[in-house]
Amino acid sequence: MGKGGFYLETKNPIIKFAIAEKFLNLARANSIWPMTFGLACCAIEMMSAAMARFDIARFGAEVFRPSPRQADLMIINGTVTKKMAPTVVTLFEQMPSPKWVIAMGNCAISGGPFVFEGQYNLIEGVDKILPVDVYVPGCPPRPEALLEALMKLEEKITGTRRFPVPEKQW
Amino acid sequence: MVKKTSDDIKNTLKGVDVVEISYTERGYHLAIEAQKENIVSIVEFFDKKSFYLADLCCVDYVDYLELVYFFNNHKEPCRVKVTLKVEPDKPSAPTISHIYTIAHWYEREIHEFFGVYFEGHPHLVYLFLHDAIDIYPLRKKQVSVTEDDKKLLSSFKPEEFEDGFFINLGPQHPSTHGVLRVVVKMDGEYIVSAEPVLGYLHRMHEKMAENRSYVQFLPNPPRMDYLGALNFNLGHVTTIEKLCNIEVPERAQYIRTITAELNRISSHLLWVGAFVADLGGLTPFLYTFQDREHILDILEGITGSRLTYCYFRFGGLYNDVDDAFIDATKQFIKHLRGRFGMYEKLVTKNVIFINRVKGIGVLEPGITTKYGCSGPVIRSTGIPFDIRKVEPYAAYDKIDFEIPVGATGDNMDRYMIRIREMEISLNIIEKAIEKLPSGPFKAEKVPKKLKPPKGDVYHAVESPRGELGVYIVSDESDTPYRMKWRVPSYSNLMTFPYLAEGELISDAIATLGSYDLVIPEIDR
Amino acid sequence: MNDIIQIIGQETVKVIIGLIGVLILVVVNALMLTWLERKVSAHIQRRIGPKEVGPYGLLQPIVDGIKLLGKEILTPANVDRPLYYLAPVLIFIPVLVSFVVIPFDTCLQVKDINVGILVILAFSSLSVLSILLAGWGSNNKYSLIGSLRSVAQNIAYEIPLLLSILPVIFMTNSLSLKDIVEVQREGWFIWKWQFFAFLIYFIAGLAETNRTPFDLPEAESELVAGYITEYSGMRFALFFLAEYTSIMIISAVATVFFLGGYLGPILPGFVWFFIKTYFLVFVIMWFRWTFPRVRFDQLLNFSWKILIPAAFINLLVTGGLLKL
Repeated sequence: MGKGGFYLETKNPIIKFAIAEKFLNLARANSIWPMTFGLACCAIEMMSAAMARFDIARFGAEVFRPSPRQADLMIINGTVTKKMAPTVVTLFEQMPSPKWVIAMGNCAISGGPFVFEGQYNLIEGVDKILPVDVYVPGCPPRPEALLEALMKLEEKITGTRRFPVPEKQW
Repeated sequence: MVKKTSDDIKNTLKGVDVVEISYTERGYHLAIEAQKENIVSIVEFFDKKSFYLADLCCVDYVDYLELVYFFNNHKEPCRVKVTLKVEPDKPSAPTISHIYTIAHWYEREIHEFFGVYFEGHPHLVYLFLHDAIDIYPLRKKQVSVTEDDKKLLSSFKPEEFEDGFFINLGPQHPSTHGVLRVVVKMDGEYIVSAEPVLGYLHRMHEKMAENRSYVQFLPNPPRMDYLGALNFNLGHVTTIEKLCNIEVPERAQYIRTITAELNRISSHLLWVGAFVADLGGLTPFLYTFQDREHILDILEGITGSRLTYCYFRFGGLYNDVDDAFIDATKQFIKHLRGRFGMYEKLVTKNVIFINRVKGIGVLEPGITTKYGCSGPVIRSTGIPFDIRKVEPYAAYDKIDFEIPVGATGDNMDRYMIRIREMEISLNIIEKAIEKLPSGPFKAEKVPKKLKPPKGDVYHAVESPRGELGVYIVSDESDTPYRMKWRVPSYSNLMTFPYLAEGELISDAIATLGSYDLVIPEIDR
Repeated sequence: MNDIIQIIGQETVKVIIGLIGVLILVVVNALMLTWLERKVSAHIQRRIGPKEVGPYGLLQPIVDGIKLLGKEILTPANVDRPLYYLAPVLIFIPVLVSFVVIPFDTCLQVKDINVGILVILAFSSLSVLSILLAGWGSNNKYSLIGSLRSVAQNIAYEIPLLLSILPVIFMTNSLSLKDIVEVQREGWFIWKWQFFAFLIYFIAGLAETNRTPFDLPEAESELVAGYITEYSGMRFALFFLAEYTSIMIISAVATVFFLGGYLGPILPGFVWFFIKTYFLVFVIMWFRWTFPRVRFDQLLNFSWKILIPAAFINLLVTGGLLKL
């Protein structure tokens, strides 16, 4: 980690082809590979989302890679303490871009149920140290909520949503 | 046993007062007040009598600090509380880590949280905390860490090991252990020494307990151990009921037993899947999760959550169970009984699995008292110690069940014990459903703002991992003065460096998996 | 056109067309095998697997490939650059070359070299070199341990691989793959006395390609990801594709040696060849999702103390029977 911050991708490629970008984004959205990174209780719900009942594999995201160099998505599930924070940031920096972060659970969004006056070991929300793309509230959120977060991330990447939004049917 | 111990103490140790305490009120049988001069000889006495150190904690009464030692026996319950008063400025006490090995960690924890220096302790470095914290967190008044103390605490540097090389297992694990980091010094494929580094998930539960009222703290214990959440909830609630002398109606006790056993089955199911996945067979993981989803659906119907249940309240339950729950449970019992045959063929009789697991990680019964092991770890060595039998709570004294015991203490025994425990839990649930009485599910006249009388209490329950102990000191206000949790994975984990020495790294990982660790409960 | 063919020579044109065909086959095959692995694992685990991307998830491997192409090309600091860059390239060349001598049908073989099997065995030993380069060049403790384990495993299992093929060569009197298939017109070798050789070959082949139950070099729960930990993007994809292609090679050689190659009634030859090969590939994938891993010293013990003596005994018995 450098002095004071970390390196964000701010340089844009020189030539941009709109159709090629669209194609590439479609491919990236359909094959998001998460990293196996479970911190606390929400990790069990993330594992349930990858299991037979909720099956995140239908959307191409079942390949959980243990090494950060081969993963696209980092799902922060669980509380990030001050002792764990340097590790989390190092792992994020090791991932090659384009990369995304989902903050799953109340602890990752804002510290969760562990914020009290006089707390000394908590990072109140992982977006104080990493750029977060999707927030999933819940303590812990249901696996269906994680699947919805994946849909939202795909919508953020491609611009269109995969399934029709439920309210529009009623 | 209690009388015999008390007489032995009076005869052997001179100048030591033993007071007999009412067990039903306080949860322990004898109380001894020790001085700095005779604490070591008292502890040596208990070691000779094969007592194990159940808990070692510290309470900050502002004029003095009090170190509290709890001893217990595996054969017959005889809980002894030994207290030692220490001065508040620059506190120090003699160490007992040369007698009980688990005291290494307890004393490190007390040192970094309270500032008590233990003379003679070889390795007083950070256990849970880290450099960025400048105070002793659990002191009532803010006391900053002195310079010398900080230097002593930060003196663990594994990078400066010359003879071999060290690797870190974790904190990012491709398996379900959680954020545990083990610094392993290796010589080729063999392990020279392994040292766990904890604290990556320290969520300050004990400090929160002092800032929240009793009712407000109810959601916290389920988050300590998210797999056995109802058992932690049960421990918390039963301790406070003991302190306030609240009587719980029969129906609530039976329902507490049924739901706690369902939770035990779901925790063991997840462990079976994770254990075999550690060894490389990824398919049983998904099968056990599928079975577990049935339990989660049943419990969601009455509690409302899938994972971190907070169903028990002081005096009973949150709401009653209905017929749908009873029918679903009966169907589930039939379904799971049919699945055990499949697991046996797929996993238990698999030659590769047997070769990976039999004879590995052998724990001798003689050293279990030094560490205070509990749960399937100690039952695998042949000692039938189960809190549900020796100190029954809820409805366990009204239901007949047996305790599975292993023979050699290796990983295979721990695996078989957990499978047997699942079958026994199914039997317990069946019998409890038959005997389920009708009646109220909540005690009457429990005040909304609970103010327990002054005093301290200790209570232990059996979580899927072992003996869970809760020690509460109350000062008549509606927040606890001190709440200490004695968690089973803590003392089980400490046997890992002992077992891992000289092993291959694959075997060490299998042994670590067989302990069924849940890191948030260790880190609290 | 005819003048060009006359200048270059008919043989050479045939070889060039064959090489292009083999290249297309290898790439398409590797992509399809990733899809097949995910579907097979899903159905064994009672779920569906990739479904949304194209019908039955068939476009999933293409989408994965495009995504990997679009990833940032990341070179960690402190790696040994020549070795790090060379390793993924070097692992793909042996499997490509091995496909040159495999007979898909009576006249569908790129070149019928008369020491065909020696070419395959020699080039498969080269893949060990690239694993060592990857592990050493990554400058990472986990990669080093993983690659050393893989090298020891590969060296130990090459010997039973060779020894189990020798009886078949004795019975055929030729090293050329085409002749071996032609001899099996009178009966496949798997039920003409060589069943044990088939078993030994299959197990040794599993260990050569680092598949479960012998996948300790990539043991996820112990070593993060073994020797490919530091690779990202297309370099990582090359390692993966090379693994699937070598599974195909092992199955193809097993088909040629023991299951009769392209022989079979009614259907054309190459359809039979692919049916038999993909059946063996399916069995290899089935093993992965059923068995746990073998520990490293048990793995080496198994090879040196059990497989090699068994292969020797098989060889002696075959030689004795042939003499009589």
